[in-house]
Amino acid sequence: MAIVAQNSKFGIFGRPILAWVVAMVFFFPIFWLVFTSFKTDADAVKPEFLFFFTPTLDNYLNMTENYDYWRFATNSVITSVLATAVALFVGIPAAYAMAFNPARHTKDILMWMLSTKMLPAAAVLYPMTFLAKGAGIFDTHFVIVLVLALINLPIVVWMLFTYFKEIPKDIIEAGQMDGVNTWGEIKEILIPLAWGGIASTALLCFIFCWNEAYWTVRLTTTDAATLSKLIEGNRAPEGLFFGRLSAVSAAAVGPIVVLGWFCQKQLVQGLTFGAVK
Amino acid sequence: MSSRKLPRLLQAPAVILLLFWMIVPLAMTLFFSFIRYVLNSLNRPEWTSPSFSNWRGFGNYEFVLNSKDFWFAVQNSLFIVGSILFLTVIFGVLIAVLINKTFPGQGIVRVLLISPFFIMPAVNAVLWINMILDPVLGLNGLAIEGINGVIASLHDAPAVGWFFSLWPKFEPISFRATQTAAYAVIMMVTWQWTPFAVLIFMTSLQSEDEQQKEAAILDGAGKWSQFRFLTLPHLARPIAIVVMIQAIFHLSLYAEIEIVSRGNGNKNLPYLIGEFANNNIGAASATGIFAVILANIVAIFLLRAVGKTLME
Repeated sequence: MAIVAQNSKFGIFGRPILAWVVAMVFFFPIFWLVFTSFKTDADAVKPEFLFFFTPTLDNYLNMTENYDYWRFATNSVITSVLATAVALFVGIPAAYAMAFNPARHTKDILMWMLSTKMLPAAAVLYPMTFLAKGAGIFDTHFVIVLVLALINLPIVVWMLFTYFKEIPKDIIEAGQMDGVNTWGEIKEILIPLAWGGIASTALLCFIFCWNEAYWTVRLTTTDAATLSKLIEGNRAPEGLFFGRLSAVSAAAVGPIVVLGWFCQKQLVQGLTFGAVK
Repeated sequence: MSSRKLPRLLQAPAVILLLFWMIVPLAMTLFFSFIRYVLNSLNRPEWTSPSFSNWRGFGNYEFVLNSKDFWFAVQNSLFIVGSILFLTVIFGVLIAVLINKTFPGQGIVRVLLISPFFIMPAVNAVLWINMILDPVLGLNGLAIEGINGVIASLHDAPAVGWFFSLWPKFEPISFRATQTAAYAVIMMVTWQWTPFAVLIFMTSLQSEDEQQKEAAILDGAGKWSQFRFLTLPHLARPIAIVVMIQAIFHLSLYAEIEIVSRGNGNKNLPYLIGEFANNNIGAASATGIFAVILANIVAIFLLRAVGKTLME
């Protein structure tokens, strides 16, 4: 029957052509960003070099000089990696308990965790600034790691919970019979079994941390400033630095876009909290 | 240790951390919203630090409700969110239905389509407002200039030249202006989030009942009625979820608004809070409470929808 449905002319020629056109249109801005990054700043704004120009790597080679790129990139890597680690470290035991020893309130706790994600960040902007400055941790990696871990913790717990639920309870209980303690259970049985789920949760958490654009901008000035802050600080070049700005932007998003390609499935789960299957 | 206590102990760190994260700052916002708290107050230095003696009751709320900026920000927030939702759902459904069948290069098409979603908001905004929408040096300006050039070169064409010489010179739209900044934000966020909608709808379409569809084809149902009476009802729930999740995310848009026009003519609630927070903390906090209320209205529906599938 599927053959009947595909037999129309549209199915054979129209659909692929239209799909490719749509995909190109959506990808075009990214292509253009990378394309422009190979032009010199002067060429980038000259119509005669719109499509044909002498490509140069200078914009990438001068990123440190122009923008101090690596300092911001290092901060992004440090904060995203540590925040992901913290979220997993706190999230794995919680999800483990919820999945294998569900109590009456487990569902409520999960729902409540999700609801913390819906609190608009701006509503607590000043208290957070106030607390961070009061505690002397404003513009440190510590505060950014803490905040990033906390805003992603609900999603991490939620995703791990859905993965852990798939593991047969018997396996865990067999471990308990053998007298393995809880930490041993998590380390020896759970983590090896749910390795794929944990890895994709970590990947998604890392992506969200990397792209976070509110707290990383508002709670930093220089020392802990991430790539979001770097790009936002160079928002309005008025056409002066299209080439170098494209290069630093492409460098800021490149790794994440590639990582993102590998976790499309998890993205659906992580963002819809398992409500769409 | 008893087997009942252990699970609680394992959950405790996550629960306690989130409890602090949720309650402490929010309680402070609530407190600040009821007191006079102004960072730069030369005449009344006692207002520059939070204290119960500066109690103002609902004064900050009154101040906020009477400010023109607040109502503009509410309207503008809803306008931006509403437009993005409308566009992403329409594009999302159309594209998902388009690429749901197998065709050559489907995998690559999917990868290309999903890519915008992983761009960080700051880069998204910088890329669109400069390289694409800039009225002089961006593609927007260059395209209009190109069209004007073509028309000008046709002025001397034999026989039809007089016709083209009557044409006006086109002016590119500047998206940094107060009237158009919101459109720029809508455009860039729609570009970024349509892939999200496509991804969700495609996931859902894969669970569509093929037998039902085949039965409908045997009954002579056309493409349109299959879409209208089978596919669309099947997508109702994912559409609702996409709408709610996006609403929550886009009610907090910040980086794009900041980068496009620094909020010029295009404030939303988070942006207004940010502006108030430079000085008038009382007003910022009262506005924050309104933002929480607005987000909660959406969140209640979303949690209800998510809760249903939770324990299955």
